[in-house]
Amino acid sequence: MAGLGEGAPLFAQVAERLSAEIADGGLAEGERVPSSNELAAYYRINPATAAKGIGVLTDEGLLEKRRGIGMFVAAGARRRLLEQRRRQFTERYVEPMVTEAARLGVDTEELVELIREARHTREGATA
Amino acid sequence: MTAAITVTGLTRRYRGKLTLDHVSVGIEEGAVTGLLGRNGAGKTTLMRIIAGQEFASAGSVQVFGASPAENDRILRRMAFVREDQAYPDFKVGDALRAASWFYPNWSGELADSLMTDFALPRNRAVKKLSRGMRSALGIVIGLAARAEVTMLDEPYAGLDAVATQLFYDRLLADYAEHPRTILLSTHQVDEAAGLLERVVVMDQGRVVLDAAADDLRGAATRVSGPALAVAEFTAERQVWDRRRMGSQESAVVVGPLDGTDRRPARNPRLTLEPVSLQELVRYVGTRPAQDTRQRTIA
Amino acid sequence: MNTRLKVVRYHLLKKFDYLALPWAWTAFGFAVDLVIFAMIPVSHGYHQVLTAHGIVQVPNPPSSRDAGGLGGIVAVYFALGVLSIARGLPFAFALGVSRRSYYAGTALLGAVLAVGNGLAITGLQAIERATGGWGESVHIFRVPYVLDGPWYLTWLTSSVALALLFGWGMWYGIVYRRWSLPGTVTLTAAQVTVLVAAVLTITWSHAWAGTGRFFTALSAAGLTGLLAVLAAALLAGGYATIRRVTV
Repeated sequence: MAGLGEGAPLFAQVAERLSAEIADGGLAEGERVPSSNELAAYYRINPATAAKGIGVLTDEGLLEKRRGIGMFVAAGARRRLLEQRRRQFTERYVEPMVTEAARLGVDTEELVELIREARHTREGATA
Repeated sequence: MTAAITVTGLTRRYRGKLTLDHVSVGIEEGAVTGLLGRNGAGKTTLMRIIAGQEFASAGSVQVFGASPAENDRILRRMAFVREDQAYPDFKVGDALRAASWFYPNWSGELADSLMTDFALPRNRAVKKLSRGMRSALGIVIGLAARAEVTMLDEPYAGLDAVATQLFYDRLLADYAEHPRTILLSTHQVDEAAGLLERVVVMDQGRVVLDAAADDLRGAATRVSGPALAVAEFTAERQVWDRRRMGSQESAVVVGPLDGTDRRPARNPRLTLEPVSLQELVRYVGTRPAQDTRQRTIA
Repeated sequence: MNTRLKVVRYHLLKKFDYLALPWAWTAFGFAVDLVIFAMIPVSHGYHQVLTAHGIVQVPNPPSSRDAGGLGGIVAVYFALGVLSIARGLPFAFALGVSRRSYYAGTALLGAVLAVGNGLAITGLQAIERATGGWGESVHIFRVPYVLDGPWYLTWLTSSVALALLFGWGMWYGIVYRRWSLPGTVTLTAAQVTVLVAAVLTITWSHAWAGTGRFFTALSAAGLTGLLAVLAAALLAGGYATIRRVTV
């Protein structure tokens, strides 16, 4: 496979990648999503697998089918995905950071300072 | 699952050795199934018997509900690409012409396109082709046949890395446009991994694993770190491979790990890596006989 | 198109081998024969005949000189039978042809070629007669007793003979595919054994005279019938052997 890992079923990874793209705004609402054959060729995976990944998102209401044309990003998809990610934010990012900080002996105040600096740098870069 | 190929109790004895030992398996229609395992596991023998080129000592094979042996009606719906195909004194073009007569779904267009892709000379005698080109010819015929059941036995022998990738890409592309039942025997599990929907692993003439490829991804995880932490983590679980070096230990844990297992807070000094399909097949394909009887990777 | 016919087409991808080669060989043998005999003067004898004018010296009719030019085509046919199986079988299997269909298609090819070439031999024999042995009293396409009668018998006999050789070759090809060189040696040994057994049987039962009478009394048509039976036996043997051949 090109770019997909071994840790989770491929269809789940395809669904994850598409969700990330929608959440980031790379795929706008109402925009056409690549077809399962296109995804299959791109990732070098079985088209049935790609179709399954699209199916997952369709079942969640994030994608909708327009007969004869293809799959499109549903209205409100981005908003819902961002909400979902917010809920997962703590588990995915905050906890590992806290754990690692503890391991390195970085106390809370230092940690907050590091966060501030990081935000500052980011704003500077995107300004 | 609708099976295009059904193998029941297939056994083949050759010179006192059991090359196939009561093999029973169904190959799903319209899906890409990988036939994996070590050399001598019985993959080629199985495919040859299904193709009617070899005879079994016991058991039965059904393709589309009928036995393929000596059955022209069924055989013309099948294509078998072998590693060591012998050709008559033909030119490449002759071989393609012959194939176009015998395969009802033959696509001359696809054949031409593949010939260009693999840079095969139409006018050269097959005998004069290099090993890689002979393999390429086999692939061209096997794919352009668009046979409802297409079996490929390590068709990439002698192909360089570029041509091998080309093979997988063309196979994928044509399969997407014209779905068919594909049985692909390969050692290159990593290259083929994305393509495979189902996986059948053989070892010593037996089927030791028959599962959906997606079920196998994430089915085992390698846990590494300080020996004590690893021991604690693996306490209640099935472990396949334990390696030790000083105070470090690495173990392959079988069974899905849920979200709580993976939280870094729980195991700060442990590294969790998914086991690739290739590695998984290697573990499964070389287990001692008694372990292979039960396969419960859910 | 029927699978057997496809097999014929498959073999004929080597048109030169199956259509031209037998005749190329025959043409070569033909040329050699003519050249040799052209250099040997035809023997002219005279005999005396009593006529109204008294005793006259009358030249004998030119004796016919028989040449073995047909031996080549016979050998080529056997070789083609062998090659049709030895070379063509594995790829035909790959293309999804059953053993039965391959055998039938190949035998069909052999039969058609035999009949066609038999006709050609008949035609050439007619020309030979008309030209008085190609002007040199050489008889290549006339084999005494065997290919010596009416044209339809010549056609039948030569066709059966060629078909027999092709079928014989096919059997050898199959045996080679199945058991390699040891197999072909065994097949030859088996055939020799059968022959020796027949000779011994005839000798022990003092039946040589009877056997001799049988063959002398046998007409060309009868001989053809015998050859046809032999050809059928060889084809049956080949079919039995191909049933379990693997590639």
